[in-house]
Amino acid sequence: MNHAIAVAGALIGAGLALGGGAIGAAVGDGLAGNATIAGVSRQPEAQGRLQVIMFLIIGLVEAMYFINLALGFYFITAVANGVQ
Amino acid sequence: MTFLAGTPGTSPLTPICGDGYLNLQIIKFYYCSFTLDTLVSSGLAILVTLGLSFFIASRLKPGVPSKLQMVLEFLVSYARELIGDTVGHDSGFILPIAATVGLYIFVANWLDFFPLGFTPLLKPANSDLNQTLAMALVVFVIVEGYAIKVRGLGGYLKHFMRPPFPPLTIIEELVKPVTLSLRLFGNIFAGLLMVYLITLIPQAFAWTTPLSAGALVLWKAFDVFFVGTIQAFIFMLLTIIYFGQAREGLEEEMHGAQPSRSAGAEPATAAAIHH
Repeated sequence: MNHAIAVAGALIGAGLALGGGAIGAAVGDGLAGNATIAGVSRQPEAQGRLQVIMFLIIGLVEAMYFINLALGFYFITAVANGVQ
Repeated sequence: MTFLAGTPGTSPLTPICGDGYLNLQIIKFYYCSFTLDTLVSSGLAILVTLGLSFFIASRLKPGVPSKLQMVLEFLVSYARELIGDTVGHDSGFILPIAATVGLYIFVANWLDFFPLGFTPLLKPANSDLNQTLAMALVVFVIVEGYAIKVRGLGGYLKHFMRPPFPPLTIIEELVKPVTLSLRLFGNIFAGLLMVYLITLIPQAFAWTTPLSAGALVLWKAFDVFFVGTIQAFIFMLLTIIYFGQAREGLEEEMHGAQPSRSAGAEPATAAAIHH
């Protein structure tokens, strides 16, 4: 009984973590892309350098999502399996 | 045919004769436990990195470089340019650390493209938090030691008294190795988890078996070549930035011995002068 409640709680928690992380990562990527497009439209010859910076920012922003994913998975396997 | 013995992150017990179990993934030794697959995978990545680097270094000749040598030279020159932009000094000390960490993470991520599922002993080395935390803690200790050396112990402690006052600045400093390790771990572990899930799809829908093989190759290509490269580059860049933050604010205290770079100078011309 406790195990079922723990697994259910862990699944809901992982879902919340993934949802919030996805929203944050998507908004952050969109902002980075917006700034890149604005910069390229203002100065087309800077496209190469701006794209490199855009990928760098995308990597940093997606890190939050992946940290959430790892934590959510940890909740499901380790925490829920620890409760009898 | 599944490519992973069990859900990644858990360690399945392999039954051996009779009632005995052999746990191939974890070796417990008093209070320590070693995850064997991370040790083997990271050992392989270390051997490949060292072999590649020494092989190229032993064949250096002036003239037309080989393609592999051009790749390594690009990495080293890019790291040197970054150090010139952000830190400006001590590039003889920072460059080996940053370039080695970047190259090792790059090789460890790219080794994942081979089909590693035939043995439970091989997996992408950075998909274990022990591995990434070890690297992040080493970088953290070196950066703090460098900060103490550059500022002196008194100046280092006084540096914590800047505007968001002590609890926040100490937390900001302590959070650096945490995010550095968790970012790399989360990215690579998510890739491993996706491989496991893609191999689970044919068990639910039998008609998707050929599609899941193609999806596996596509996902691995994206994960290894795109995410793996970017995460290696981000780890190296953040290492260099932390070194730069360790000596931030020192330029106005130095009394004119070296021509200090002002914050508004264009990085491109300053880097060209530094070379």
